[in-house]
Parts: sequence; structure tokens; C-alpha cells
Amino acid sequence: MKSYILFFLIIAMTIIASSCDDEFSSSTTTHDIDLKIGFPDDIDPADITDAIVTFRNLSSWQVTRFSYPSKGDIRLLPGIYDVEFSASIVLGNGNDAVIRGVSRSIQIVSDATLVRLTAYCNIITDDLIISEVFFTGTLQNSGNQYYGDDYIKLYNNTDHIVYADGITLFESKFLTTQKLDFSPDIMEEAVTVQAIYTIPGTGNEHPVKPGEYILLADVGIDHRNANPNSFSLEHADWEWYDVSSSPGNLDIDSPNVPNLDKWYCYTNSFWMLHNRGYKAFGIARIPVDKETYLKEYRYSYDYDLVTNAGTFPMSQTAYKIPNDWVIDVVNCSVESEWQWNVTSPRLDMGWAYCGNINNDKSRFFKAVRRKLLYIADDGRIVLKDTDNSSVDFNSNVTPSEIETQHTLIGLGQGTSQIITYDGITPISK
Amino acid sequence: MILAGGLTSGATVISGKVTDSADHSPLSFCLLRIMPGNHSCVADAEGMYSIDLPEGKYSLSITYVGYKELRKPLFVNSQNAEKNFSLQANTLTLGEVVVTAKESEGMSSGSKIDRAAMSHLQPSSFTDILELLPGNISKDPQMGAANTITLRETGNLGATGTSTTNPDYAITSLGTLFVVDGAPVNNDANLQGIGTTNDSSSPDFARSTTNKGVDMRSIGTDNIESVEIIRGIPSAEYGNLTSGMVNIRRIRRATPFSARFKADEWSKLLSAGKGFLVSHSGNILNLDLSYMDSKVDPRNNLETYKRLSGSARFSANWMNDWGNIRFNSGADYTGSFDNAKVDPDLANGKIDEYKSRYSRYSVNAESIITLSRISWLSNIELNGSLSFQEDILERRRQVAPSRPSAAPTTMEAGVHDGHFLIGEYISDYRSEGKPLNAFLKASLSGNILSGIISNKYKAGIEWNLSKNLGDGQVYDLMRPLSASWTSRPRRFSDIPALNVLAFYIQDLVTLKTTAGYFDFQAGLRGTSLPGLDKRYYISNKIFLDPRLNILWHLPDYRDLRPFIGGGFGITTKMPTIDYLYPQAHYNDIVQLNYYDVSNPLEYSRLNLRTYIDDATNFNLHPAKNRKWEIRLGASFGDNRLSVTFFDERLRSGFRYSSIYTPYSYREYDASAIDPDMLSAPPDLESLPFTDKTILDGHRVVTNGTRIDKQGVEFQLNTMRWSLLKTSLIISGAWFKSTYSNSQMLYSSVSDVIDGKPVSERYVGIYDYNDGRVNEQFNTNFMFDTQLTNLGLIFTTSVQCMWFVKSTMLHKNGRPSYYLDSADGTIHEYTSDSEKDIMLASLIKTYNETQYNPVKVVPAVYLNLKASKSIGRWLRISLFVNRIIDYLPDYKVNGMTIRRNAKPYFGMELNLTI
Repeated sequence: MKSYILFFLIIAMTIIASSCDDEFSSSTTTHDIDLKIGFPDDIDPADITDAIVTFRNLSSWQVTRFSYPSKGDIRLLPGIYDVEFSASIVLGNGNDAVIRGVSRSIQIVSDATLVRLTAYCNIITDDLIISEVFFTGTLQNSGNQYYGDDYIKLYNNTDHIVYADGITLFESKFLTTQKLDFSPDIMEEAVTVQAIYTIPGTGNEHPVKPGEYILLADVGIDHRNANPNSFSLEHADWEWYDVSSSPGNLDIDSPNVPNLDKWYCYTNSFWMLHNRGYKAFGIARIPVDKETYLKEYRYSYDYDLVTNAGTFPMSQTAYKIPNDWVIDVVNCSVESEWQWNVTSPRLDMGWAYCGNINNDKSRFFKAVRRKLLYIADDGRIVLKDTDNSSVDFNSNVTPSEIETQHTLIGLGQGTSQIITYDGITPISK
Repeated sequence: MILAGGLTSGATVISGKVTDSADHSPLSFCLLRIMPGNHSCVADAEGMYSIDLPEGKYSLSITYVGYKELRKPLFVNSQNAEKNFSLQANTLTLGEVVVTAKESEGMSSGSKIDRAAMSHLQPSSFTDILELLPGNISKDPQMGAANTITLRETGNLGATGTSTTNPDYAITSLGTLFVVDGAPVNNDANLQGIGTTNDSSSPDFARSTTNKGVDMRSIGTDNIESVEIIRGIPSAEYGNLTSGMVNIRRIRRATPFSARFKADEWSKLLSAGKGFLVSHSGNILNLDLSYMDSKVDPRNNLETYKRLSGSARFSANWMNDWGNIRFNSGADYTGSFDNAKVDPDLANGKIDEYKSRYSRYSVNAESIITLSRISWLSNIELNGSLSFQEDILERRRQVAPSRPSAAPTTMEAGVHDGHFLIGEYISDYRSEGKPLNAFLKASLSGNILSGIISNKYKAGIEWNLSKNLGDGQVYDLMRPLSASWTSRPRRFSDIPALNVLAFYIQDLVTLKTTAGYFDFQAGLRGTSLPGLDKRYYISNKIFLDPRLNILWHLPDYRDLRPFIGGGFGITTKMPTIDYLYPQAHYNDIVQLNYYDVSNPLEYSRLNLRTYIDDATNFNLHPAKNRKWEIRLGASFGDNRLSVTFFDERLRSGFRYSSIYTPYSYREYDASAIDPDMLSAPPDLESLPFTDKTILDGHRVVTNGTRIDKQGVEFQLNTMRWSLLKTSLIISGAWFKSTYSNSQMLYSSVSDVIDGKPVSERYVGIYDYNDGRVNEQFNTNFMFDTQLTNLGLIFTTSVQCMWFVKSTMLHKNGRPSYYLDSADGTIHEYTSDSEKDIMLASLIKTYNETQYNPVKVVPAVYLNLKASKSIGRWLRISLFVNRIIDYLPDYKVNGMTIRRNAKPYFGMELNLTI
């Protein structure tokens, strides 16, 4: 009997509570917003143009835009919002640059809600950019995974020759799927990394012409010998080869593909890109020599590891790469698993993904590829680079190597027939 | 009941018959005990007994199930040679049984569990019986893992306070001796396993019993008469153990045909047995058969465990005018079958199968010769057993190397070419072990009396042989079970036999004074391994185990009979065959890794230099445990209380530890190969090379395990309150167990700095403790209600685990020393060392908060068990464990843990014709 009373009580309360909710959401009263934007020290807010603030209501998906500084009050319906700021500026050196700021899940429930954004000038893109990351790998006929055919493509998006000498490829230490409070929190100054491989060279040995790609591969061999469902990476420009004296974790050194200079790696087995892409992958130009870097950029930090079994305070040591040295970063993840970006929003404001849920079998044979912006008059492809991987990248698309080699696009799904610029836009013949 | 008075010399045979006082039918196999001096004898099937006693005054007690105990003074002189007794049937206690473990009244702390307690418990295997030991609570059956015993300890716990398996602490169960009908169950020659891998996700990891002693899943309970589990200091008669012993006596009496069928969520069990009276002289033949079919998870048909066992036991008794010979023999078969398979429909046609079967055939014989004429030599016992086991482990797996990888193929040291594994393949692995064990034991015992002191001595020798005759691991080196496989097959039959030779002497001195009587039991056991290679430290040595137990029965005060006891002892366990002759470690170092892009199968070359590291540690010592305990207790009428404090310290348990040594090899520069010029794999001679020395680790057997055990065990049995027909049994224990290492540990780091793996250059030696210290406290309250006129036994137990606590031992992440590959020597790690980038990376960082204890708050369960007789032939029993639970939420590491308990229930049918 008692439990019935309790049951009715719960139902009654639910009805009352939900009717309250209805009233709340049907409210038409708007609230005014107190928007404060912090600019980098070297930028004069007076020089910016086309400044726009975008509020996206996360429940109604309604987008409201205001110019900045706004002409009148910014008034919005109560709710939870993602707020983005963007503006253009001409830098002292004459380059065009974009200033952006983002703040997510802001609750607006009362008048004079303070919304604070920090705006960053994007990284000066006068260098190579990452155009594609293929981290998922392919499958063997049995359905088992095959590794070794992962690669990263860099692209010269500028209108002049760029030398690849000294470009450092890195993988973040932290996972985009596991938010950590780490201390000291150095994310505003540097990226915490666990693998550092550098393109050797004196500075002008490896020119990359405008509109040219360079291919950095795990193993630069024809992978179809070991896995008929894979493709060839024999034409790779560089490979990261991990010398091992143990046959238990052997890496393959292709005689035809030069090796990256391995500065540091967290594992003494072989390194491969995280195959669900739970990392940020980036490139940097490290201005100090290897010995100095290895000696001076190691740091220790504490963090709380939150697992299903509880929260475990941990201490660890890793290398860091200052944000100022970073040329490009793409935060990657699986769509349902993303929790945070492991680099400063200054470097990347969004993220790209392969696979919609964790352990998604459909993620194999998929890559993230940078979007085509336009094709220049000389036929050169210009890719989108706004330092926001959510906007700049096509997620979950067929890798360029599979397209050009017409190999399998998935187990039992036939071979690739079309070639695209970016995984979406087909190259019209 | 204790008679003070002198004893005079001279011995007399007292014999006679014990009968029912009402119908004068003989009481077969009733027990006669005579104090002082701890004399006892069992009557034969006709109720006839015979015992030889020095002249004097004694107190006699005769007990028989369903009858009132007969207590009587006994005067022995040369005239009264024949004495008959009759016992009165006890209508009140008729059918009343003991449904739990009784605290042993012997010289050392132990638990006695008899047939009635076992049948009320409704066990599937021996594992379930352990619930009755102080400190234990009921658990769900774990049919997908070897069930190994832990005595007086919490067992290994993980970071959240849950049980884990760690082979480093295998000595816990390896050091517990199982004796069945006087013969030890020897598992020292078991070598089954999968190479030298230690992959905890492999089905073999949990199921392997190599170095772990007895798998209790394989012991059925239906033919067991009684079990004594000695937790304290065992008599010197028993050895090759560190922790304790389990002494199983099987049914050897005429019984009606009885059959049992049990079903629960996990298993179905069927057993049947009968004891035949072969002739009127009391010769008995017991036959039984039992089959169990269980699943690891009731929802999964692909992981199963099955057990089949059959036994024939013959017991005979010959009486002569000079004494008596009792002969017990038995022939047994036990089959144990583990299967595990990955559902191919769930795994893209992936093949992953594991099968392990074990068939044990054994015969044993035991003769006890009782001499009635000589008091200094009253008993001669001869024991022998022979067992042969056939263990087959089969693993079949589809291996998909996730990238081109390599398999070493040579069995010899030196330079050779390896084999690239390209593409998927099916791997078949088979391990065949045939352990053979032989056991022989001879012992003498007798009495020497002088004045108020009575000496009861026992001495003997025993020999135990273990040898594995199996073909060992059989597989194709080119098709290893995993792509990173480095171990090699070996034949088990090439491994020498292990002989363990032991002697023991023991004297029990009983001293009667007005301040009660004292029993002093002092014993010494010597163990050696004859025939062992001279290079072993253990060879040609005798390891001595002194054991001492004292029991003081204070004078009775009305119905109160208090006692104080204690003991000290050293127990020693000799290494197993695997520990003495571990599988060699093959270290393969890649000298040339050339993968030919255009003709990978024809022109690639993998050149390896192979070192064979003997994992044998000639300096291995036996594992030695130091135990002491203090016991207090009293009985008051039918109420009985006992409390035991114990402390055990083991610092030399066996484990595999990693050690690092420098290895030299020649690194060829593959970049000098011009792929276009090849018409065969590249020639080594034409390649530039550098000679290098790197560090690498391999495992060796060490005495590096430390287990400290402390605690308090208690048990209170109350009398039966006649109104409620209920008695209360309270038992429980507080345990504190430390699991750690007793030697410094090598530990490598995985960083690669500037293209050079740190672990190839430097390896740190850390003076830290890798284990945990665990504590738990529990109390079980069992209400035992027996309504004999209804044939109903009903028990309600409230099992409370008040807390479980686990704390990680402190780790010092700064190495004390480091090994340098450049000179192959060990250096002290100084503050200067930290300035080197590579050496600095040897410092491991640990967060202080990880040393905070994890505490699991109380868990309270209610278990019900009932059995009811229906008519003459049928008895139905059922049990529900955890029908009600109280499991409050608690926080571990900031996370709220909500617990829930699933009831475990089952029922069984017993038929007795």
C-alpha cells in the first residue's frame, strides 16, 4: 500500500514539475547580455573589421548574430548557448588574419549575464598545413585490424615555395575523450606531446611547391602484400621508422622512403597514430636544437584520471611544444566520445572525427580531410584554414590514397571509384 | 573427569563390545577416547574394540551419532581384560547434526567439517566448503578460473578493493598441502601453460594451476567423510607446505545406496555411491561416481567446466592376538575439462578456442598396524600412492599480425635468419603434460610412560617423486600464437625428476598436575632434495622445520573448561619443477631488418642474434614461513568459544623477477642495400655494421615474494535452546595481509629519446614495494534450527563483511642504482645522474594520493539453507545465498560505488535406499 502512495506521489510531482518546465520554456522574456571580449596584446581592437558574435541556442538550435561592437543591447531568450566571435584584421606584415574566440555552454537565465570570450589571432598560415590524417587503418579479410598504413598529408596552401626541413610532427599526450584537470595547466602556452618526429634537413633541402602535398607514412611499403585490402605507401615522402632490436615489436623500414628523425617517443615499441584518433595531431617548427629541446622542454604534471573505477590522482612526465612554435593542429576524436580539445583554442577551435560511436567498425578505411575552399586561377587548390577543425575538415570520408589507388573503401563495400579534392567535392574531368 | 593419580607400569589389552542399550545391536565404528594420554580407537563393524593401555586409572568417553556420550572412569589392571559398554539412544539429539565447521580441539588451530555439514552446505566443489572457515563468507562459484585456496588472508586486492589474480603470490595456494586418505595431492610436476607469456586476457591465465597447487574445482565433496583444515602450526608429520594443510578423509564404511542431484544457476551435479560390507569380518568396499557440468556464465554455452570422478575404495581389518591391521586402499579417476571459445558469429569468423583437459588416475594404499603387546611401539603405518595425470591444453587461434612482423625460428643460440609473418594465419598450440607422482611413507608411534608424564612419540620418513613425462609444448615455430611471440617449445620429459625426501620426529608430552594438564607437542621435520644438481644451493642440504605446540587445559570449574594454547613453527615449501627448471628465455636481437618492397617474400631478410638465457636460479632457496599463534578458549556445557591470534611471516616466496644484462650484437645498416640489384636476400658480408651492446631483460625465479599475515580468528558455538531448537554459531576474523616484494626490483622505462630507447642503455634498480597491504574484518551469525521430529534442518546466516581496506605500499620512484650497458655494471644513482637526459627519465613519478587507503564499507548478506527429509528415502535441500543484502554506497577515489548483489540459489535431491 505504502509503495502505491509513493508511486502516485512521484507521478503527481512529475506532472507538476513538467508543467513548470513548460511555463519556463514558453517564456518570451529576453535577457540582456554583458559581452566582454579580451583581445591579444598586440592587436588593437580598433583595427578589426567584420566583427560578428554568433549565439547558438543549444536546445532550439536557433542562431542569432550580432555585429561587434553591437549597436544596441544584445538580448536573448533564456537558455544554454555556444558563443563564437570572429573578426578580420590586417597584420603589421600585411598578411590577412582572422581573430576568433569561442565559449561553450553558457547559461543565460537572468539579466546582465556576463559572457566573457578570449579572442585569438589565428596562427599565421604562411607555412604547410595538415590536409589529411588517416589514423583508422584498414581491416584484414577476417575482420582483424591492420596497422602500418596510417599516414598524415601536409599541403602547401600558400602561393610560394615552403621548405619542409625541420617540420616536426607530433601527437598529443592527452586524449580528446578524457577531460583532465592537469596542473600546472600549460595549455595556454604549450601542447603536451608524447611523440616527436622531425623532417631532417638544413633548411632548404626539401622544397614544397605551392599546391603540393607531402606524405608522411608509418610504413612506406606496398601494404597489399600483407593485407590485400590495404593500399601502397611506397611513394611516401617520409616514414617514421622505429628501430627495434626485438623481433616482437618490429617496425618495417622501407629502403625507398627516408626516415623522419625520431626525437622522442613515449614507447619503445613502434609508434602509430591512435587508431580511433583520440589525439590531436600537429606540426611545428622547433627553433632550438634537438639537445636543448630534449633537455629543457620536459615537464612533470599531476592530473586526476577519472575512470569507471573512480578518480585516480596521477603524476606524469612528458614533453611540451610551445604554442608559438606550432604551425597547425587538428584535434581528432570519435563523434560520440569527444570531451575536450587537448590544445589551446588559439590553435584549434574545433575537432574532426572518424566513426560516430566508440569502437565503431565503420570507422576503418576513413580519414579526416581538409575542405576545399576554392580553386585558384592557376588551378591551385586552396584549402580552408580557419583554425577550427570542425569547420575546416570533412570528417569520416574516404582517404585520398584509397581514392587515387582505387582500393577497397570498406570490408565488402567494393573499391573506390571517384576521386575528390577533399573527400566530398569530386574532381570533375 | 580428569582423574588425578599415579600410573603404574605394565600394559593390558582392554577389549569388548559396544552396543545399543535398548536392543543390544552393535554400534559399528563408534569412537572410544581415553584420557589422559589421548588414546583412542574405533570399534569395528560389529562394535568390537580393542585397545592396549598401561595399568592405571582413566576416563573413558564413547561417542556415537544419535547416542548420548558415555563417560565413565576406567580402571585398568591385569584382571579386567574384557569390558562391554552400552550407549543410550538420545531421543533429543537423534538426527541432530553439526552443520558448520567445528573448531578443532587438537594441538593446533583448525576447522573440522564433517559429512553432515557438507551435505547441508550443498557444495558443487571443495571450494564451497571454505565458506565455513573463519574469515570467509559465501561466494559465487568461479568455474572459469582455477580455484586456489587462501588461508588466513585477504587475498590479492586491486586498486578498488576487489580480488585479483597475481602469479607473484602463487605461494599462498602452492604452500597449502592437500592430503587425501594419507597421501598428498602433488601438483609440483604441473607445467601446463602457454609459453612464457603472462597475458591476463588469455583464457589460460586464470585457469592455469602451474605453481599454484591444487585446483579445488576438481575435488568433489560427495565421497568425503570429514575434512580438517589446519590453519595453525601443523604437526611435523606434514611438510612441504608454508601456509597450512587440508586433510581429507573419505567415506570408508558401509552406507546405503545414495544418490544426489543438485542444480543451481551455474551447474548441474549428479553423484551416486554405496558402501558394501564385503564380508562379516568388516571388509568394506566403497564405490562412487560423480559428474558435474557447469558454465562460467549461465548465458554463455561456449565457456564450460566439467568434472567426472569415480572412486573405488577397499578397507579391511584383521585382528590377531598380537594386534590389529587396518588396510585402506583406493583407486581413483578424476577428469577435469575446461573449454573456452570466442563466438565466431560475434567476431568476423575469428577463431579463438581454448581447451584444457586433465585426467588423473591414482591408486593408494595405507596399512595401520596396531601392536597391542608393546607399549613403546603401538602403531606402524605404511602409506603409498601412485598417480598419473594426463594434461592436454589446446589452443587454436586465428592470428592477424597487425603489421608485417617477425617470428624467430631457431632453437639454438647464435646468428640466424628469422621469418617474416606476412598476412593472417591459423595457429595451433598444444601442450601435453604427464605428471607422475609416487609417494611412500613409513611411520612408527608409541607411548612411553614415566610417573605423571606420558610421552606419545611419532617418527617417520617419506619420499615424494614428481616427474613430468609429457611431450610438452608442440607447435609450429613459423605459426606462433601471437605475432610478438618469442618463446620456444620444450619437451617436459627432458626435465629431471624432483625427489623430496623428508623425515620427522615428534613427541607429545602430557603432564598431569593439579593445575590442569599440559600437552607439549614438539616436532622436527627435515626435508632435502636428493639427486639435485650440485650447483643448486638447495642440493645436499637438509632444511629443518621445528614445530612446537602447547595446550594447557586448566582445571575445570563446574561446567567451565578453559584452555590456553599456542604454537610456533617454521614451515618450508620446496620449489616446484617449474621453479627449479624454468623455461629458458630466448632473447632474439634484430641485427638486420630488411624488408624488400618489391619482393617481400623472396628478398626480405631478417637476421637475428639469439641468446639463450637460462632462467634457472641456482641460488634459489626454499620458501620459508614463520608462524606463531596463541589460542584461548573455553567450553561451558555445550557452549564453546575459541579465539586465535596469529602472525605469519614469509619473506622468500617464489616469483619470476626480471633481471637485465648486456647483450652484444652487430647492427647492419640496411640503407646500404640497393633493392634494384638484388636477386636473392641481401648478403650480410657486404653490409656496413656497428657492434653494439644493449640491455635487455629476462625473467628468473627468485625468492622475491613477501607475504605477512596477521589476524584474529574467533568462533562461538552455543548450546541448542530447547524451546527454539536453535543454536547460534558466531564466527569471524580480522585479517591483515601484506603482499609485496622482498628484493629490489629492476624496472625499465619505455621512453625513446633522440631515437635511442632508454631501456637499451640504462635500467633502474628501485628499492620500492610493489604490493599492497590489505585488511578485512567479518562476522558470520548462523542460527541453526533443527526440528528433528519433522526431519527439518534450517539455517539462517547473516554474513557481515564489516570492511575491506587496501592500501598501496609506498613506492620510491627514484632509482637507487642503475645498470649501464656501456660497462655492464651497476652504478649508484646520484644527483649528478639526474643531469643526464636519459638517466633523468629513469625517475618515475608517483602521486602521493595513490597511497591513500581504499575502504569498502560494510556488506551484509542473509543466506538461507534448508533440508527436509520426506519419507524414508528422500531428502530435499535448497539454499539461497544473499536473499537479502545491505550494501550501502561508498566512495572510492571520488567515485560513488553502488553495489548490488545477485542471489545465488539452488536445490538438490538426495535419495537414500
